[in-house]
Amino acid sequence: MTYYIKLGVILFMIAAIASGVLAFVNNFTKPIIEENQRQMEIEARRTVLPQAKTFEYVEDNLPYYRGYDEEGQLVGYTFMAVGAGYSGDIQTMVGLTADYKIFSISVLIQTETPGLGANCTRPEFTNQFSGKEVDELYIDVDSGDIDNITGATITARALTNSVKKASDIIIEQTKDLSDNTKHDYSKDKETA
Amino acid sequence: MGNIFTLAISAIFINNFVLTRFLGLCPYIGVSKKLDQALGMGMAVIFVMSMASTITWMIHNYLLIPFDLVYLQTIAFILTIATLVQFVEMVIQKMAPSLYKSLGVFLPLITTNCAVLGVSIININESLTFIESILHGIFAGIGFTVVLIIMAGLRERLDKSPVPESMKDLPISFILAGCMALAFLGFAGFNI
Amino acid sequence: MSLIKELTKGFIKENPVFIMALGLCPALAVSNSIENAIGMGGAATFVLLCSNILISLLKNFIPPKIRIPCYIVVIASFVTIVDMTMNAYLPDLHRNLGIFIPLIVVNCVILGRAEAFASRNSVLKSIFDGIGMGIGFTIALVAVAFFRELLGAGQLMGIQIFPNNYQPILVAILAPGAFLTLGLLMGLINLFKKPETD
Repeated sequence: MTYYIKLGVILFMIAAIASGVLAFVNNFTKPIIEENQRQMEIEARRTVLPQAKTFEYVEDNLPYYRGYDEEGQLVGYTFMAVGAGYSGDIQTMVGLTADYKIFSISVLIQTETPGLGANCTRPEFTNQFSGKEVDELYIDVDSGDIDNITGATITARALTNSVKKASDIIIEQTKDLSDNTKHDYSKDKETA
Repeated sequence: MGNIFTLAISAIFINNFVLTRFLGLCPYIGVSKKLDQALGMGMAVIFVMSMASTITWMIHNYLLIPFDLVYLQTIAFILTIATLVQFVEMVIQKMAPSLYKSLGVFLPLITTNCAVLGVSIININESLTFIESILHGIFAGIGFTVVLIIMAGLRERLDKSPVPESMKDLPISFILAGCMALAFLGFAGFNI
Repeated sequence: MSLIKELTKGFIKENPVFIMALGLCPALAVSNSIENAIGMGGAATFVLLCSNILISLLKNFIPPKIRIPCYIVVIASFVTIVDMTMNAYLPDLHRNLGIFIPLIVVNCVILGRAEAFASRNSVLKSIFDGIGMGIGFTIALVAVAFFRELLGAGQLMGIQIFPNNYQPILVAILAPGAFLTLGLLMGLINLFKKPETD
């Protein structure tokens, strides 16, 4: 009996030491990981809506940021579109102008096939979105205006559809608000 | 009901664990020589995958998250699986000694079957509910077994075919797996 | 066996992937580009080396009855360390390797070497064995990735090698291509191995 207890104790000790070491490393790396994520999103927001000087976070079904220029005028919205691609989620940051046209998109995270779907991050593909109305967001195979990526229809379709879907939600969430135009700088926490 | 069907088709065909996700390859190559061995292994794997999905889901949601120990996920999951396999081994030894003999060393090797740990992690990554996780485990196991049985049947035939000396055994099995993967590639992009 | 032999045996003669058929899952999954292959190879080698060392150090302390769970805890710890560190400092590679980073813990190469070698040999020998097997594993991954990336995308390490109008053999970079490439490479190695055993 004591033999089995001894076995249990040894295993427990090893597991406990392991957990301790991991907790230590975790404390060290977790803030870096979170900071990386934050930085990436800040960068992306500025890229897809460069006219905006400040961003204001809005909690909603699909959380988004309102972008304001120096005079406090609303210039547009930024939000994340997520779609299931060929091999994992594709996360795209979208910049929508105040009159609901796509200004720019930036693919943040994708693990699509290198040389095929992964080319969805290239400007040749993403630039097509700029200036489009939200209703025009379909790939050409689905009777839309966005040129497909040869051999990566799944990726192109997933990305395009996710951007359209998210944009529709944002339009729905923002179209009725009347206090959209002026921005109160005194409430600012984040400046671009 | 439709949701279960989608989950099943996805796990068995569209995202087949062996031929699409590349999980469970070592036993796939190791145990697919004889048909009855393959069937026995497949049953054991289905059982372990569903039980593992269940327990690891609970561990993740009731232990790791509330106590902020998510970084211990890998250790916790693999220890759970190792214990589970040990348990299954004892049960099979008592209840079906002939199966135990024929599976031999491959039974404890289910612990290192990437498919088991893989499905546990995928359940969490895709935020499946408890029931969905269990079902996913079952269907993923079925997908593994289906492919394993097909492979075993084909390899039994292969033994009697004129294969070049250097391609015998492993190389030709991989070529065969490649052809099967090609067939399963046809399921990609199914929109159900 | 001399130490150098311990090191080099993992390269070709006892190559974990091509000869011993271990570590197959990552060999096929992350060999779609040379960069991923090197990343995975490096991560696995690190874990293999550390776990070999620690298990060799603890070999007289771990009771045989619970040795497998103990090895698993040790290996899983190093895998988690690699996971967290890569997430913090190499986020792109971390994303590309995805689920296969935690799956390093069930990489048969690592558990296999722990059981077959590190638990019965000195720390010094285990170090060389670990490095050798790790390099062999990496060589195998890079070999498969070389063909898959070249034929499937016309690139090597992201650099365009084939002219731009090269029509890539798409299947090479998809799942079937992985199986076919590995099978053909294994067959090729068998072809050159045969004279030795005569």
